[in-house]
Amino acid sequence: MALLEVNNLKKIYTTRFGGNPVQALSNVTFSIEQGEYVAIMGESGSGKTTLLNIIAAFDKPTGGDVLLNGRSIVTMSEREISAFRRDNLGFVFQDFNLLDTFSIEDNIFLPLVLAGKSYDEMNNRLKPIARKLEIDDILKKYPYEVSGGQKQRTAIARALITKPQIILADEPTGALDSRASAELLKLFDEINNEGQTILMVTHSIRAASHAKRVFFIKDGELFHQIYKASMTSEEMYQKISDTLTMIATGGVRNE
Amino acid sequence: MSKLFYPKLAVNNIKKNSKTYIPYILTCIGAVMMFYNMCFLAEVNDIGYLSDSTSLRQILFFGAVVIGIFSFIFLFYTNSFLVKKRKKEFGLFNILGMEKKHIAKIMFFETLFTSLVSIVIGILTGILLSKLMVLLLFRLISFKIVFGFEIPIKAVLYAIFLFAGIFTINLVNNIRQVHLSKPIELLKGSNVGEKEPKTKWLMATIGALCLGYGYYIALTTESPLAALSLFFIAVILVITGTYCLFAAGSIAVLKILRRNKKYYYKAKHFISISGMIYRMKQNAAGLANICILSTAVIVMLSTTVSLYVGMEDVLRTRYPRNIIVSVYNVSDEDAEKLDAIIKEQTEKANTVQKNVARYRSIYFNTIQNGASFTLNRSGSYSSQDIAAVIFMTADDYNEMENKSISLSKDEALLYTLKGNIPGDTLDFDGFKLTVKERLDSINIEAKVSSVLFNSYCIIVDDMDTIRQIYASISGTDGNMGERSYYYGFDVTGDRHVQINLVRVLNEELNKLNLDGYTEGSEISRESFYTLYGGLFFLGLFLGLLFIMATVLIIYYKQIAEGFDDKQRYEIMQKVGMSLREVKKAIHSQILTVFFLPLVAAVIHIAFAFKVITKMLAIFNLTNIPLFAVCTAITIIVFAVFYTAVYMLTARTYYKIVS
Repeated sequence: MALLEVNNLKKIYTTRFGGNPVQALSNVTFSIEQGEYVAIMGESGSGKTTLLNIIAAFDKPTGGDVLLNGRSIVTMSEREISAFRRDNLGFVFQDFNLLDTFSIEDNIFLPLVLAGKSYDEMNNRLKPIARKLEIDDILKKYPYEVSGGQKQRTAIARALITKPQIILADEPTGALDSRASAELLKLFDEINNEGQTILMVTHSIRAASHAKRVFFIKDGELFHQIYKASMTSEEMYQKISDTLTMIATGGVRNE
Repeated sequence: MSKLFYPKLAVNNIKKNSKTYIPYILTCIGAVMMFYNMCFLAEVNDIGYLSDSTSLRQILFFGAVVIGIFSFIFLFYTNSFLVKKRKKEFGLFNILGMEKKHIAKIMFFETLFTSLVSIVIGILTGILLSKLMVLLLFRLISFKIVFGFEIPIKAVLYAIFLFAGIFTINLVNNIRQVHLSKPIELLKGSNVGEKEPKTKWLMATIGALCLGYGYYIALTTESPLAALSLFFIAVILVITGTYCLFAAGSIAVLKILRRNKKYYYKAKHFISISGMIYRMKQNAAGLANICILSTAVIVMLSTTVSLYVGMEDVLRTRYPRNIIVSVYNVSDEDAEKLDAIIKEQTEKANTVQKNVARYRSIYFNTIQNGASFTLNRSGSYSSQDIAAVIFMTADDYNEMENKSISLSKDEALLYTLKGNIPGDTLDFDGFKLTVKERLDSINIEAKVSSVLFNSYCIIVDDMDTIRQIYASISGTDGNMGERSYYYGFDVTGDRHVQINLVRVLNEELNKLNLDGYTEGSEISRESFYTLYGGLFFLGLFLGLLFIMATVLIIYYKQIAEGFDDKQRYEIMQKVGMSLREVKKAIHSQILTVFFLPLVAAVIHIAFAFKVITKMLAIFNLTNIPLFAVCTAITIIVFAVFYTAVYMLTARTYYKIVS
């Protein structure tokens, strides 16, 4: 059974004053297996963030279903969703979403504290993660005292510490310089090699070229997908680039 | 560009910021109204009909000054809050090509409009309310209502000048702030990442010391007259302590809590403690303000209410009998004549004397040191060792109490009105008396002095002994004149009878050419009502003003925090916090933050209670249970009101956050 199944997902936004409804997603279907590393690419407004928001249960779809481990997240109640999100999903956002009121350490602890874990357990979980992400010397600092790369690594640590089924990353390199981006992508590769499933939304070709599979989304529809298989990142980069050019120049749907 | 461009833009800006501007304008109107009304009362002609109008006018004028100063501080504070919120807007104007000169122009028109609206509406509502104010005041001071309506031009001018001044200063300050900052700083505005505050141990220690010493003064001051002068010092110490402790102490406490891992890493505490630490720096001053204002409201209301409610007690303490004749330096024949006159006049007035207290005594103002007394030569009344010593002869005592005791030359009976004399030997600068007996009761009225300082009544065998004692402590030949005569009694007649009797007796005293006077509770009732009613009115008025200020500080805080917190709670929800948990966390945090000042205020009151009762004694109020009840009721009413305000504004907060 696939880890994540997305079936016939639809999302229509209606404006408040009864204007024309906007179809953000129309009939999106795909599935992701345990241990995969998937990137979703598309231009601004293509619906990729809407897709991620629905998978993360931040938003409800107009139609269709999302199953994680065979369980539908669309029909869950508000209270169930919070706990479900906390226990099964890890998030990495473009703008980090760290809280200035907490130290780096406390930011990472936040989901565990919400889950009611003891301090000792949290601390035991944190140590190996902090070492791997090289943030063990800034744990006592505050988000406004550290660099963007360090902030994003903190966010990854916060996502990893709950041992989630899947990590959802929304433009994780969007606010980083090229060096920090490269480090982050290397980190994602490592995490994925250890068996962590990752779903990433991005419009950076560099970022997508690290994924094992890339979906292309256009006008709310899944347009195309390519597998990395045995390609190097450079070859993958070239292929993605070609595909994007084809999509942009109005290429015919490739089945 | 149209000439009306800037005024129009200014009006639009005010409309767009109505969520913060409407409360601000309402506050301005309220302040103008209250200030005008106080000035009005201090100037109005109606009050001239009162017998004691000068002291009332003084109280009211004092009130106007307090309101003026307070309005200035408070409007300055709220205005700076408004500008902080709007910096981003001005930054945008700046970037879109407006010069700072133009922004200043917009600000000028905004200030012009708000101040015009506030001053005009404020004075108009003030004028409408002024008649009501006079009626309320006159009701409180039990004075007959006067008809007519007047608008003292002086009061109107005072209000216009004061508030025009305040608005001008605010405008200048706003322009200065915008002028000094770069566009990018304006754009970032209030969004600058704030660092976690450091624990300021020095400040916390100073705060604790100030507060401790203030409390110590309040608890250890025994003499009412000393209390009057020390209270002010204690108030300043406590205010300083409150500011320091809110600024530094709260952060210290929160950090200690955070260090306790078991406590801190619980979902509820985790979010609220970190939020409070983060916010404490910007909030400490606001919370300390709320605390001090709340304390002031409770103290003012409870004291003035209890003085007013306890008026009968006050009159009875001040005038233990309806009619009191006290005469100094009275010879035996004069005393007899006086008795006859009083008897004749009471009969003439068709009333009967009751509860007669009549004695002859001589009074020394001394400094007490254990059991030895020396003359108080400085004439100062503020020292804690002052003791009033009242001497009576055994004959007078026997006559008064209907007893037949006899004393030898070095023996004395001692009755303590207030204070404590250790041992059985009294020493008057070398002249020694042995206490034969300590009396449990005596029919004399010296409560007035005994409220203020230690007082003893000493009975010796005859005048000769008293003269020797006087010679000993004064170092003279003992010529101190005759004893004074106190004759107090209650009468059955009504108000007019009593007032008339007092007047007649005073005339008779004059005819006899005696150094003395007659006084009565009825004749003083009016001036007591004027004074205490005036104070009560002022207490209500200022209490209302301070409450208004407290409400506004709370409201602005909630709004400011709401905008700050919106993003934080969104993030927390993304990480897996349910809406219910969010609400719970918000609730626990705001509850702590807002009820902390109230709790601190109640603690202040508890410590101040004793020293306030001492001061009320100067105003002749010795009924401590009454004051306790008034304080308790004031606190409860205030707490209910505070809770209501908190809940109303908390709702606004939830709306912003979710």
